[in-house]
Amino acid sequence: MVKSTDVLYYAVHVGELRNIIQWQTWHQPVHERKPEQEAPSLAICFEFLDQTSRSFSAVIQELHPELLVPIALFYLILRGLDTIEDDMTISPDEKTPLLREFHNYTEKEGWNYHGCDRKEKDRELLVQFQNVTEEFRKVKPAYREIIKDITLKMGNGMADFCHNAEHDVNCVNTIKDYDLYCYYVAGLVGNGLTRLFVESGLANPVLLERPQLQESMGLFLQKTNIIRDIKEDSDEKRRFWPKEIWSKYVDKFEDLCKPENREAALNCSSEMVLDSLSHADQSLFYLAGLKEQSVFNFAAIPQSMAIATLELVFRNPKMFEKNIKITKGEACRIMMQSTQNLKLVCEVFREFTRKIHKKNTPRDPNFLKISIACGKIEQFIETIYPSQDPKSIMQEPAAPIDPTSKEGKDKAAAAEAKSDLVFMLIAIFGTLFSISCLMLGIAYAFGARFDVAFSELTQGKLSKPTDAGAAQSIIHKYDHGEL
Amino acid sequence: MIMATSVLVTGGTGFLGSAIVHAVQEQHPEWVVTVLDLNPPNVPKKSITYKCGNITDAVFVNTIVDGIKPDVIIHSAGLVPELAFRYGREQRDHVFNINVNGTRNMLTAAKSSGVKAFVWTGSCTAITDDMRHQYRNIDERWPTSSRSLIYGESKTAAEALVLAACDEKLATCALRPSVLFGPGDYQLIPSVHACIAKGETPFVVGDGENLWDVTYVGNVADAHVLAVENLLSTRTAAGEAIFISNEEPIPFRDFCLEVWKNFGHYPSYEVHIPVSLASLVGYIAELVTCVTGTPTTLSRGSVLDACGTRYCSGGMARKLLGYKPRVGIEEGIRISCIDYAQRLKSSGAVGKLAHR
Repeated sequence: MVKSTDVLYYAVHVGELRNIIQWQTWHQPVHERKPEQEAPSLAICFEFLDQTSRSFSAVIQELHPELLVPIALFYLILRGLDTIEDDMTISPDEKTPLLREFHNYTEKEGWNYHGCDRKEKDRELLVQFQNVTEEFRKVKPAYREIIKDITLKMGNGMADFCHNAEHDVNCVNTIKDYDLYCYYVAGLVGNGLTRLFVESGLANPVLLERPQLQESMGLFLQKTNIIRDIKEDSDEKRRFWPKEIWSKYVDKFEDLCKPENREAALNCSSEMVLDSLSHADQSLFYLAGLKEQSVFNFAAIPQSMAIATLELVFRNPKMFEKNIKITKGEACRIMMQSTQNLKLVCEVFREFTRKIHKKNTPRDPNFLKISIACGKIEQFIETIYPSQDPKSIMQEPAAPIDPTSKEGKDKAAAAEAKSDLVFMLIAIFGTLFSISCLMLGIAYAFGARFDVAFSELTQGKLSKPTDAGAAQSIIHKYDHGEL
Repeated sequence: MIMATSVLVTGGTGFLGSAIVHAVQEQHPEWVVTVLDLNPPNVPKKSITYKCGNITDAVFVNTIVDGIKPDVIIHSAGLVPELAFRYGREQRDHVFNINVNGTRNMLTAAKSSGVKAFVWTGSCTAITDDMRHQYRNIDERWPTSSRSLIYGESKTAAEALVLAACDEKLATCALRPSVLFGPGDYQLIPSVHACIAKGETPFVVGDGENLWDVTYVGNVADAHVLAVENLLSTRTAAGEAIFISNEEPIPFRDFCLEVWKNFGHYPSYEVHIPVSLASLVGYIAELVTCVTGTPTTLSRGSVLDACGTRYCSGGMARKLLGYKPRVGIEEGIRISCIDYAQRLKSSGAVGKLAHR
């Protein structure tokens, strides 16, 4: 559905509109689903995938056929688990065992759950969960084991936090708690996905030895979303921001969204952004281990979106007033850049890191720390894609111009401007020439006597003959020759 | 157990030298420290022997070193030309005499008196003073430049001497720290602070995004101790030149903002001056000073310094020396600003520190 505000927005942001059109017309999926060969229950699963996640559904559906169904079901299973966790109307006595046993239900024929609140947006997925379990039982045992293992760990982790919440309203107190919570709900996903990628032979097995890298992927996404969703979570009485951080800025968590505390809340969000930024370099490092294009796209798009989201929320007071998200045009551009190679993904990271840095202000208590974090990301990108080579400096002592340097860019821009000028002149004169030809042609078609005019002119008669008779006699002279 | 007994630190009463002496005594209280410096210390320490003299005097240096017969020499004495002379060539001979001849004298004396380890304080400017390039995440593969600014050139020449002197008996090593700051700093923090009074804080040359390395003096001192330990044990750093930094590259602008912040000053607005315009102004300033004969304050060089990208990878220092910066930049700036505020106060000037 196109909203009138969207029309207005894209009318003034034409570049973004172009991105959307480009993405929709030019983007070629690496692999495509074959819906005609799918069982009805699988088709239902993909329908749920579309409903529950706008952002993930598209990338999942372009995955390599080997991983398409396992990862789609993995997503739905975790979404089901997450829905139960999020539903504050389910009593802890009922919720805790559900979370801890959820991994067993994933294979149970006909299992579904009707206990969710009617307002819960993904309630229907659990009501019709038998479709997921039916398909899940068809998945290769190796994949199934991995997915079940992660579901078990995540369910237990969620239950632990749920349990804590009974005793203390702020279940995420310390930064350590926050890291642990994010590990359960997202770090584990990174771990599970890595195992699936490696199991299917589509990623470098070395990744298995780097649990920190795998988790960083999930943590970076999760922490960024937790920052962005502050308003919504606060309204729903959910608290994920660690008390250790927000208590430095406000007395009560609810105060974060109060307009009178805007400055304190912004400073608080900066510290949250700083915490999230610390995972960015590791997530880039992880992406370097993915070889297969569809797997790379699947992992890279959310990471790029996360850094863009982080830039969006950084020192943005609107996040405390309403839900904010990246515009669709921006999202399409990021997706285009993130579905090619790591170098372009690094460019996306560099771009948004610099934008974050630009918004940084010395009045922010975390000013220098944020600056250092941004510098670290740039340095990391420079280590994997060096923009300079010492050999070139050694070979060319006569001041080579680094194309990425300021002077290099200026030179390139000057050259471009020059060629632009030439083309512009060609275009102008070309247009004038063809218009002139057209005018002369029309005049000739209407009987203009260019031959007469030309030879009269060569004889030096520049002015028009004074009376019509004289003119006629001149034409006559030319028509019949000088008899 | 490392059996070093005697350490000679040149320049040991200066900004970096005194930090090195402090680090040596802190980490190896049993070592005997002698300081050789042009100037006597402000506050002498009882545990240290002080010798006064000029390292450009070869005969004197030989006598001193022969008398002490140290196991280790940390040669940190050197001359950093003041900012006003950094871009000109007036002081070339003076700088070369101290930085190159002084080092040659120290090396000769070290060889003849059987010194085992020689750690020399070089500088990243041996590479980065060559302003034709930008230096992003450079490592030890980058070439030194013999055509740059007088300071960088002197460090390049002296470094070559130090590394060439490395042999079976004498292990040498060059450390290349980036720009230093810390308590007792008489160049960087004071000149950044001076911008507040001059009302220069709103002006940014270039985009203010150029990353730059700045290193806390205590961390560089630690690196010297690590290098000595290495040369006395595994000798893996022998004959190497190693970059030392805080491993926290930040834009120069942000460093300034943080210093000002410590003094409670926040620029109320920001004006970005394009590099080309700044260079032009610098050029005119150079012409003016050329005619009037006064030392340059603003020049094309200082513009390039302000908007250049210069930071190194700390990989080699980590690998060979096990170096890790102990004090982060933020903490380092805080300590330095407290120190400078105190110095200002005792000299009667107003240097109020922000309450944090």
